Amino acid sequence: MIAWVRNPWGRPRWLAVVTAAYVLWSIVPVGIAILFAFNAGRSRTTWQGFSFHWFTGSTGSVLHDPALQSALEHTLLLAGLCVAISTPIGVALGLGLQRWRGPGGGTVNTLMLLPLVTPEIVMGVALLLLFLRVFPGIGLGTPAQVIGQVTFTLSYVVVMVRGRLASIGREYEEAAADLGAPPHDQLLRVLLPLLAPAIIASAAVAFALSLDDFVVTQYLSSDASTTTVPMLLYASARGAPTPALNAIATVALVITLATLTLAFLVYRRFAGGREAVELASLEV
Amino acid sequence: MQGEIRLEELTKQFAGVVAVDAIDLQMPPGEFFTLLGPSGCGKTTTLRMIAGFERPTSGRILLDGGDVAQVPPHRRNVNTVFQSYALFPHLDVAGNVAFGLKYRRVTKAEQRKMVVEVLERVQLGGFEHRKPAQLSGGQQQRVALARALVLTPRVLLLDEPLGALDARLRKDLQVELKALQVDIGVTFVFVTHDQEEALTMSDRIAVMRSGRVEQVASPREMYDEPATEFVADFLGVSNLLPAEAAGRDGDCCVLRLGESTLLAARGATGSRGPVKAMIRPERIGIEPHGSAGENRLPGLVERVVFLGGSSELHVRVVGGSVLKATVVSGDGEAAGLSRGAAVSLHLPREALRVLVPDSAQEAESAAAAAERPVRTAPSM
Repeated sequence: MIAWVRNPWGRPRWLAVVTAAYVLWSIVPVGIAILFAFNAGRSRTTWQGFSFHWFTGSTGSVLHDPALQSALEHTLLLAGLCVAISTPIGVALGLGLQRWRGPGGGTVNTLMLLPLVTPEIVMGVALLLLFLRVFPGIGLGTPAQVIGQVTFTLSYVVVMVRGRLASIGREYEEAAADLGAPPHDQLLRVLLPLLAPAIIASAAVAFALSLDDFVVTQYLSSDASTTTVPMLLYASARGAPTPALNAIATVALVITLATLTLAFLVYRRFAGGREAVELASLEV
Repeated sequence: MQGEIRLEELTKQFAGVVAVDAIDLQMPPGEFFTLLGPSGCGKTTTLRMIAGFERPTSGRILLDGGDVAQVPPHRRNVNTVFQSYALFPHLDVAGNVAFGLKYRRVTKAEQRKMVVEVLERVQLGGFEHRKPAQLSGGQQQRVALARALVLTPRVLLLDEPLGALDARLRKDLQVELKALQVDIGVTFVFVTHDQEEALTMSDRIAVMRSGRVEQVASPREMYDEPATEFVADFLGVSNLLPAEAAGRDGDCCVLRLGESTLLAARGATGSRGPVKAMIRPERIGIEPHGSAGENRLPGLVERVVFLGGSSELHVRVVGGSVLKATVVSGDGEAAGLSRGAAVSLHLPREALRVLVPDSAQEAESAAAAAERPVRTAPSM
């Protein structure tokens, strides 16, 4: 064992050991949670046999409990709207900040990064006050939740698009212009295809962030119809938890993973193999 | 014939720093014109202004007589081969080459035919469906060339296109590129910092330095008759000896180097005061120690550098300067030339050139500029 770790010709084994330990540490709890989604009994701690009861059973399952179903639907609705709004705006902002720098660019730049470092609870409270006092017309509920989620997912999209843009360099746009492409064609025929991997990746990240969000979504919710999966999990964990919660969490996890896998596959079609690896590292 | 470029008082400043300083250049149609100079001399900025990527601070860019200085790049009939090639990685070779054809009135079928033809021309037939990442550096360079040539530009701009290639391939492509240029007769404006490349390929060269044009001439003229110390030093190997000019004696200038007196028949022979005497290594004759005659300098061989077909002798002469002299291989050994040998260097008067030092040169050209308000670059 010692010799295996110390082998000076091989790769640094202790890095492998640390990595393996971390992966195990982070996956095991998730694995256990998923496992109990398939528990036959009502316990979330004692294994009572395998069953799909909490997914498809006739009582209390994800499929048949109206509260769980509504939460899942609302979560997906918010995520879909959040991606549909924050991705195009984020790409436009990223392009503007990176390519057409003007006066005030530096300030805007800093402001864009602010949501990334602001504690989410602060943002949640601020947004709550905003919708209660400043825009009472919008009020709380789905529109407020979407706007709230877009507010912080936008920053991620901008940062990812700008990172990619910085590595693209100006010569592609110049080459397009040189070959006769007017500005909108430089954007459509060259810049956007080159940005496609970043756009897909940032859309996937925005989706995952929205799916996962608790604080902002909770603050801006109105009634039971605006409850999302994370909110439901939080609320019922203290009440009478059943493995149905594990089941719905599993469903949410599968949706997230499926989204990221899809994004990865689309990305690989657009970009070369080397860049696909970049995204793969992003998914973690 | 189209493709004439004239630059008039062209100036570019970046945040107050002058990158290109009121240059005047003329490139007739079909010429292979090279902008040569060290990095930061303004050659690339000049090229980018002709392409339209930079807007001149002042001055005019005349393309076949029309001023294009304020025309955006996509409306100029000039094309560029970039140093990095800038091939679109998401498009295959055919897609890259056909990119600009979309803006020409040609049918899809014609486009395909043109793409095939131009790829044959750059010897890349059959590579239509490769992605740029699957090509070697030399092949990418050819695609970049094909992508520009398919649009039959009036002028092709090349920004150090061979810079990223290895030495061997670069030599081959130099010859190929020159042959292609002669074949299609398009004006080439070529930017490089490689003096050998410039000498091999160009019809004419403009040597630039800190935003100004030092000299415009054919490669041979530039090599044989450098106008300034800078040009002499930048193109090829030069010996530059500090000397004191003591006026004209017949056709020659009398130069004093310490105890010795030399006669120089070329350059600014009417000068007086501190000057540089310039001579190319291959023009220096090596004679046995003590040889008599004019323009002989005694010296000691310090080093013999073997270069294959020739050797370079470093000889320390009176006054402490080291002169480089070229000896064809075989001759040197026969003469017993080795480290420490005492020799006499013959600097023929018709190979010795008087160059006014830079500061004096600038004062002189400023005075000349004041006399002639409209400056035009010398053309052939």
